[in-house]
Parts: sequence; structure tokens; C-alpha cells
Amino acid sequence: MTLDRRQFLASAGAGVGALAFGLDPAAAASSQFRHGVASGDPRPSDVLLWTRVTPTAASTPGSGVGPTVSVSWQVARDWRFTQVVSSGVAQTGPSRDHTVKVVAGGLAPATSYYYRFVLDGVRSPTGRTRTAPAPTATPSRLRFGVVSCSNYQAGFFASYRHLAARRDLDAVLHLGDYLYEYGPGEYGYGNANTDVRPHQPAHEITTLRDYRQRHAQYKTDPDLQALHVAAPWIVTWDDHESANDAYDGGAENHTPGAEGTWPARRAAAYRAYDEWMPVRLGETAALDDGTQIYRRLRFGRLAELSMLDLRTYRSQQVGTDLAAVDDPARTIAGDPQLRWLKESLASDAAQWKLVGNPVMIAPLVFPPLPADLTRSLTDVTGLLPPEGVPYNVDQWDGYTADRREILRHLADQGITDSVFITGDIHSAWANDLPLDAGTYPLSRSVGTEFVCTSVTSNNLDDIVGVPPRTSSLAVEAAITATNRHVRYVDFDSHGYSVLDVTPARVQMDYYVIGDRASAGAGSHWSTSWATSAGSQRVRPVSAPVA
Amino acid sequence: MGDLGGFPAGAAGIGTGGVMDRRSFLRVAAAGGAVVLSGAAGAGWASASAAPRTRVYVLVVDGCRPDEITPLLTPRLAALRSGGLHFPRGRALPVTETIPNHVMMMTGVRPDRSGVPANSVYDPAEQVVRDLDRPTDLGFPTVLERLHARGLRTGTVLSKEYLYGIFGTRATYRWEPSPIVPVSGHAPDVFTMEAALAMLRTADPDLMFVNLGDCDRVGHVDLTGTTLALARRTALVSADLQVGRFVDELTTSGRWDSAVVMVLADHSMDWSLPHRVVSLTPVLDADPTLAGRFVAAQNGGADLLYWTGPTVGRTAAVARMRALAAATPGVLSVHAPADLRLGSRAGDLVAYCAAGWRFSEPAVVSNPIPGNHGHPATRPIPFFISGGSPRVPPAATSSRLAQTVDVAPTVGAVLGLPAPSGGYDGASLL
Repeated sequence: MTLDRRQFLASAGAGVGALAFGLDPAAAASSQFRHGVASGDPRPSDVLLWTRVTPTAASTPGSGVGPTVSVSWQVARDWRFTQVVSSGVAQTGPSRDHTVKVVAGGLAPATSYYYRFVLDGVRSPTGRTRTAPAPTATPSRLRFGVVSCSNYQAGFFASYRHLAARRDLDAVLHLGDYLYEYGPGEYGYGNANTDVRPHQPAHEITTLRDYRQRHAQYKTDPDLQALHVAAPWIVTWDDHESANDAYDGGAENHTPGAEGTWPARRAAAYRAYDEWMPVRLGETAALDDGTQIYRRLRFGRLAELSMLDLRTYRSQQVGTDLAAVDDPARTIAGDPQLRWLKESLASDAAQWKLVGNPVMIAPLVFPPLPADLTRSLTDVTGLLPPEGVPYNVDQWDGYTADRREILRHLADQGITDSVFITGDIHSAWANDLPLDAGTYPLSRSVGTEFVCTSVTSNNLDDIVGVPPRTSSLAVEAAITATNRHVRYVDFDSHGYSVLDVTPARVQMDYYVIGDRASAGAGSHWSTSWATSAGSQRVRPVSAPVA
Repeated sequence: MGDLGGFPAGAAGIGTGGVMDRRSFLRVAAAGGAVVLSGAAGAGWASASAAPRTRVYVLVVDGCRPDEITPLLTPRLAALRSGGLHFPRGRALPVTETIPNHVMMMTGVRPDRSGVPANSVYDPAEQVVRDLDRPTDLGFPTVLERLHARGLRTGTVLSKEYLYGIFGTRATYRWEPSPIVPVSGHAPDVFTMEAALAMLRTADPDLMFVNLGDCDRVGHVDLTGTTLALARRTALVSADLQVGRFVDELTTSGRWDSAVVMVLADHSMDWSLPHRVVSLTPVLDADPTLAGRFVAAQNGGADLLYWTGPTVGRTAAVARMRALAAATPGVLSVHAPADLRLGSRAGDLVAYCAAGWRFSEPAVVSNPIPGNHGHPATRPIPFFISGGSPRVPPAATSSRLAQTVDVAPTVGAVLGLPAPSGGYDGASLL
């Protein structure tokens, strides 16, 4: 990017790290733009821009109150907006909770831009975004921030702040659980479930009004706002954007009747998500035109990113009948999405086939462990039942027919350089993807997987209630010994990752933060893993890219 | 391995061929015996010099998988890859067999224009399944004779008999593979390299096309598979050694600084267990509407299916063959040849097997070879361009697709050869 940091900070009147890209939360909080600005789903000639306005004091999120207003927007090559290249006016009002989503077109590929909105003469904070490379371009590098599992109650979003302070990101990938549905006292910080910051509204969210208010609360977080300001986001949802362990007909954390019907609740969750997130559901910025979130984004010939939806179409997780995990009639992706993913992987359009994957695809067998550890592992990984079984039935492990179809497809079609970028499991992993885990590493790997840890959501040491890097070390050693394709796992740390893509390799740098209960938690590099082009295997790397 | 010594000291004699092609022969002393090279009429032998000019060397490590090139196992190949322009998306094209992909490398066009879709096809005139190993089988000009026609020298050193067969006398200089290993039909890499070095020193071609067959032939020779892994590693080490000798010769002779060295494979390799065999002949024969009126030409991981019954029944018969083939365990997919740009010689249908399987025609026992190719699993190939020529970007990696059909356009771009009539199907990588 071309921004001169000092100039921009001076212009914005900001002076702390969280304000690296000009956002002034103090000003924003008192303005019509208290929920910040965002951009997303960059394409070579356009990008989606988002904001939410508060035209009157009564126009609070979820209120359904307030006037219809016109919001103008501008995109410029420079942060002073002397070279405006795209602009327009959008209408918004209570029917869409005063959110604004527009597609700014006419942009040049692989170019950084600055954007802002204006309501009644009041300017929003300025955001920085970046378009994707042209389809036939051969970029030498792409760099993404990678995050998942950001639970407001469990702590502060220091990871977002540290990523926002970087100035080298083409985009940020959020792989799901952007927000959580729980009420205060449920699923907070550590094994006591302490609420570092209680959720609003102060109950489990089930209605459209609830979901809107929860989105609004998250969007007031200064670190979250800073990262949205810093780069375009590419997001998908996992379960907590609607309810825990969601599937096509319900969710573990949904009570039919008392909480309405599942279709109605999910529709409310998806509607609020469409309103409040910088994402093109149904491939458009419009609302009410479908909720398909799985989609492809191209980055020249270097990479294509397929963002998956592994909640909307999946069969219910198996219970005690573990043999059902192999039932070919059960699906995690649904047939249309599975066909679509196979097309994405087989395409010769780009070298790296990146897959934004909400739940882990590498097979995992859990070794015998002390009962206390197993119970905690069950909690963090979703292992069922609590006594411990060889499957996490909420991951691809619970839908082996779909996984087998994908991995066989990679082998049958001679597909190379497929990299699954994964969230959900609140821990950091680097995995080979064996065609036959039972004979690995003597048999072949057909792809790789990098899993980022949670921004704040609890993981093993939190649940066990022990200091980081103590009892988890034994669990990690046992898992890598039992699962030879698992090359790295960290069950304790919270943080973020940076994914660097070049023609020669894809590298994931893992960063961990200090205590997530501290708003000012620091960050440091933990480890890096990479996959060399054509290798289908991960390898350790001695240093991060930057 | 002994050294050949500088030319002309190593030349044992020069002879003249028969009236048919007016070839000249050069017998060159080499380690393990003599190398006999032939040259087109009028091609000189002793005038070769290492004067600075761009030369292109295309080295094919037959059947090598991209993941088999590692600094530990194949240090010379790995060094060429890391020091030059690497294409991780190197790909063979259908049918991923030796002959069609070598033909695509030298013509720059797909099989529907060259007439060479597979190793093995059904020849309706002769009513037999045969290899496309005759010069007349190749119906498109190659860069070998097109460069020769413009006064540049070209050379072929091809380890396999059928490659020598189809490329014939197109190059200015050529080597007939010898000694030939029984069953495999190829000359071991050590002899192939002796010939390549001899040609380098005696003829100094502007374009040399070299095929090293050991890696591929390991899979084909070992019918039990029990010694496969060790034999494969040995073959890779050997191929690496031979490539290293070639590079050393380029360096010591002063050619390296102006050389463009393209290294690739013609296809990858996939391994199947004895029970992972597809034989479509008995499946189709069991259908009364097809029995005795079709032919299956087996190409390892691909089967070419031909309807040989009356023309009036072709459409229905092909549909029936497609349905039966697609429903057979181990069959990955079935295609019309036109969809794969294979041309009419590929018959009526092309069936691919899944990874880890192989075809065996006409009976299950007909193809006992564990290592096969021809199916999509064997598309990825190593592909990199090295050499000291300023045209070669040093230590670079490209995300673009690099296919066997791109070799001829690249050669043409480097040596100033215009595209053939109708243009290339590939594109220059430099």
C-alpha cells in the first residue's frame, strides 16, 4: 500500500496503534458512523463497501426506528481524496437497520484505495481497501490476515488490533464465528466462563432484533473497527453466527418452540449477517436476493479462494451411532456445493487452490488420555460423547463420505497446491491431507491445511484451568504421534495468523497474544509453517515473512 | 564412468548411409562401447564449435513425478530447478502417455492436429492395435525439421525405440537407441547420455531433444512391485547423475552461458495394486449388442474404445459403451475424444481410470505393470527452464500453467522460428 502512515495519522488526528488507519472511535462514537466502516469481497474492478448510520438518537440497531436517508460515498486513490475515482449515493432506513452496502466499481486491479461515507455533511472514518489482481495477472505475492472465533465475552480483540497495525495485507480472512449467540454467563473467559465484556442484548439472541443488536455491539469494538478500516475482509460463517452446532434442520443451541422455529431463527441470523457484514451473499450487495455465502474470489493466476458454507446444508451431527459418520447419504456441504468445490479445485485458472474452510478437514484420531484431559479436549474440540471417541463429529470427521469425495477428487484429477485455511477449533494446526491416514506417511498427501487459533474463544488450557503450555504439551505430543499427518498443533494460544502466498510456496505465520482479558495484550510470533509448490506437504519455517 | 574426450579425438569414423536418405554416420568412442550417430545429408560433423549463440536443450526425464525432485535424492535436478525458472504447474496433456506428449513438445499442437493422441491406438486399416511409432504417424511438422530447414542444427537422443521410430529422421542429427533392454524397449540412461554428450561435442546442435527413460521403465519392468521403491530411487539418482553430466559438459565447453535448458517429464506416474485393474473388454463383450464389434486400445491409465461394427449402429453403440464403461468400478470418467482434443484416431470414447487403478486389455492379466499413466492423476510433471542464457530468469517461480505443448513455442521464440501454419496451441514460456 502507498499510504504514508505519519501523514495519515496526522490527518486523522489519531495517535495510537488502534487508529493506524485514521479511525477515531471517540469521534465516531458521537457521530452518525459509530459502527465504523468496512470493505469486503475484493474483485479486480470493484469492492463492496459497508457502513451503518445512526441518523437520529432513536435509530439504534434493531429498533426499527428512524428516517430513510441518503448516504453518499467516495473512493479515492489517495487518503486526502483529491483523486476520487468512484462515488455514489445509497438509500437506507429502518427496513435494513440503517446499514449501507454498495459496490464501488470502475476500479483498477491490485490497487489500494481509500473510501468514506457522508451523511448530512458528516464524514465517516476513512477506510482503506484493495482490489484483487486482474484475472490474467501473475502477482508475485498475496498476503492475508487470518482469524476466527472472536467471542466478545471471552476477551478483547487484541488480535484484530495487531493485524490492523500491519500495513501489508491484501485482505483479512475470517473463517467463522465472527460473533457468538450466547447471553451473559454463557461461554465466557476460562473455565469459570467469566464475562470479560458481557454481551448485548443480555440474553441469547434468537430474533432479528437480537441478531442486529449483537452485530452492532461487535461493530463498536475499536479493534474490530480498526481491522475493518485497514483492509477488505473476506468472510464466511460457521455456527455461532446463528447457533452452536448448527445444521440444516436445527442446532444444538436451539430449542424449537421456545426459541421459535429453526428456519425462522436462521433466516433472522442470515438477514442480520447480510445487513451488517461486508459480504456479497448471493454474489451481490443487495439484501433479499438469497443467502448463498459460498463463493470464489480470484487473485490473478496466483490463487483462487473458495469460501465454504459448512452449516446451511449439512446433515445433523451424529449422536451415539458413530457408524453413521460414514453414511454416504449424510453431507457436510450439500451436493451442489460439493460439486462446486470440486470444480473450483479442478480448475486450471490459478495455481493455489485456497479453501476458506470453517471446520477442520484433516482426519483426527484421539489417543487415550487421562480422563480430565479428555473431557477438556472434548469441550474445546467438540468431541462427542464426553467420554471420548475417535471422532469430532462436527468437523469433516463426522462426514467422511464428503471428505473422501474431495480427497479422492484431488488424487484422481492430479490436482496440486490445494490449501485448506481453517478456523473453528480454537487451536493452531498445520496438517498434511493424506489420502489414507492409516498408512501415512508411507502413502501420499493430496493437499495441506493450516488452521488458525481463536481470537478469544476458550481452548484447552483455559478449560482445564492451567497455565498455557503445561498439560497441553502432552496432549499435543500424543496427537501428533497418533496422527502422523498432523505436523503441528498448539492447543493453548489465542491469536491470529498471516498467510503469505507466492508462486513458490504458501506460508502461515502463527502469532499469539497475551492475556485476552487485557485490552492492551501484546503479540508475538509463535511459529511458521509452509507448503512448497507441488509438495502437498507442510514443513516448518524458521521465521515469519514480516 | 569414463569420459568421452574431446571431439574429434573420440571419433572413430564417419560413414555414409544408403541411397534412401543419404545419411552420414559418425561412430564415436564412448565409455562402454561406441556411440553411432546419424546425420542428415550434408550435415557436417567436425565443424561444431562452442561459439557463443543461444542453444536450447530439452531434457525429458520420462515419467518423473514433480515431488520426486528433491535436493537430497536428485541434487542436480533440484539445483537446476531452484536456479532457473520453475513452473510448479507443469502439466502433461491428454493422453498422458510418452509418445503424444513428446510429439506435443516438438510440434506445439494438440493431438487433433498432429494425429498422435496416445501411445497405442486401433489402426482400422491394419485392423490391429499398435503403437504410433512410425514417422508417417506424425502429421504435423516439428521444430526439429523446421529449424533444420532454416539452416539450424537439431538433434534427437531418445532412449525409447518407439520415440526414435516416430521422430525418425526429422532432426539434423539423431541417435538410434542402443543397447536396448529387452521388455522395456529402451536404452539405459547411461548409454543415452553417452550419446547426448557425443552429439553435443560432435554436432553441437542448436536444439537437442533428449529423453531419459529409466525412471519410467522401472515401473514397467518390475512386474511384482516388490522392489519398486528402491528401483525407482535408483533410477532417479541415475537420471540425476546423467543430467548432471550434461550440465557439466555445457559448463566446461562454454555453452552454459548462452544455453536454455528445459527440463520436464512427459507424464507423471501412478501406482496400482494388483487388484485395482479395470478390463473393459469382458464388460463390453458381455453385452450382446457390442460383443465382437469393438476394440479397446489400452494406454495404462486410459482406454481408447473403438466401435468396429456397422456405421448405422454407431451412435447407439457408443452410448452403450459409455454407459457400461462409466459404471465399471475403477473407471473415473468417460469422454468423447473431441472434448480432449484428441482427434479421430482416438476412436469413439476415452475412458480414464481413477488414481491407483490401471486398465488391462483385452484381459485382466494383459497388463501386469504396477506403474501406469495416461489418466488425469498423472498430469502433474516437473517443468523448469534453466541455463545461463539471459533469457532465463534466475531463481524464479511462475504461477502460470506450463504444458508440454508449450515447449515448441518456447523453442521457437528463443531460436527465432516463426509459428507453424495455423499457429501453435501452446505458448512461449519465455
